Amino acid sequence: MGKQAATKVQAGAEGTGAAGKVLPEAPALRLVSSPKRQRILEGMLEVVGTNGYDTASVRMVLDLTGLYRQAFYDEFADKDACYLEAFDFGVARMEAVASSAAAEQDSWRGQLRAGLGALLEALEADPDLARALVVEVHAAGPEGLRRRSQAMKRVTDFIDSARHAPEGGESPPPIAAEGIVAGMHAVVHAKLAAGESEGFRELLPDFMYFAVLPYFGADAASAEMAAARA
Amino acid sequence: MDSPSTSNPGEVPTGGAQALPRAYLVRSQRERLLEAMLRVAAAKGYEATTVTDVIEIAGVSQATFDAMFEDKAACFLEAYDAVFDVLIAHVATAFEAAADEPWPERIAAGLGALVDLLSTEAEIARLSMVEVTAAGDDARSRYRAALARFTPFLEEGRDYSSQVEELPADTARFAIGGATSMIFDEIRAGRGPELKRILPDLVFAVLMPYLGPEAAEDEMRRVTR
Repeated sequence: MGKQAATKVQAGAEGTGAAGKVLPEAPALRLVSSPKRQRILEGMLEVVGTNGYDTASVRMVLDLTGLYRQAFYDEFADKDACYLEAFDFGVARMEAVASSAAAEQDSWRGQLRAGLGALLEALEADPDLARALVVEVHAAGPEGLRRRSQAMKRVTDFIDSARHAPEGGESPPPIAAEGIVAGMHAVVHAKLAAGESEGFRELLPDFMYFAVLPYFGADAASAEMAAARA
Repeated sequence: MDSPSTSNPGEVPTGGAQALPRAYLVRSQRERLLEAMLRVAAAKGYEATTVTDVIEIAGVSQATFDAMFEDKAACFLEAYDAVFDVLIAHVATAFEAAADEPWPERIAAGLGALVDLLSTEAEIARLSMVEVTAAGDDARSRYRAALARFTPFLEEGRDYSSQVEELPADTARFAIGGATSMIFDEIRAGRGPELKRILPDLVFAVLMPYLGPEAAEDEMRRVTR
């Protein structure tokens, strides 16, 4: 079970069980060094989210932002480089949304409910942005996939911190958190890829059920699902 | 993927082949093209694959290709569906062979058959589970549709849940998505040929939403050696 061992080592190295800290610091916000750069990143996400990565072009970003060609190339080498930074930027923004919602809670379950709820609200509010991040990253080559894995790993580490929660009763195998994140991701991905633009908010009760079940058991999971529906 | 007609893809049928019914010959040419498409795309990547590569490997003329497929993409998509026909049939066979066992064990048997086949055909596994997600909208929607074909195997799990009244509607998609993502990560990390090593993880991920953590872990242990 080399995979499980590796997961354990990484989780330990990043020390995710630390109290108070929900999702790790958004890693890319500091990358945006100027308002112009931020406009380009936002424009890139909008163009990719609306048209798909393959169709998206620097020209479309320029048209949308009203910037000159040179302004783009002063900041980025090409579309690929710009998208990768835009991906980090968009993910960091999503993580900030989740973290600040969760910061007001002190239990793992409360943090998860608030953070996940805020994320799903963000998807509901801007499904094109979500599509640019969740669906189109697959078209952006190995580096895009690597960054996607890192982002999913951060969520996985937070989920798995449940095994240290004082009220937790179960110690599921290390793979449990990865399965939860992958499962939630699959449901969201399928909706976005099919072009749906609503119904994300309504996923919260189901997601709470799946995430709580392995750490707290079926009764707690059902209670969470019912509470999230209310 | 293992039909006799494709065992010698470079050889154009001559002599005896003329005695075969024409429908058979057409079908086998089509199969050869589909298999050649998979082999070439798995080796070179879909983008770099050309129709010329495919017809050379298949030993079929350009005119024959043109008569059968509108373009490279059409051939690829049909080949893609054929891969999942084989995968589903393989899983179904293992699932049915365990018909006397409880559902969780049948799921473990089906997953075992799936990772067996994927690890034996590691190149095609990479093509159909990983690269497809980068091959454009049509390919991606085929991929989603293909994964949904695993749903019927999970239906019975609802009877095994202690929460049968209110098991979430998306449970099957969640379970399949969890397992698929683990397979995706392994193949992408270059561990496709050793995919069998994550069978216990896959068993847990698929069963946990239905059975809860303890029973799912018992099933996981059963396949761990």
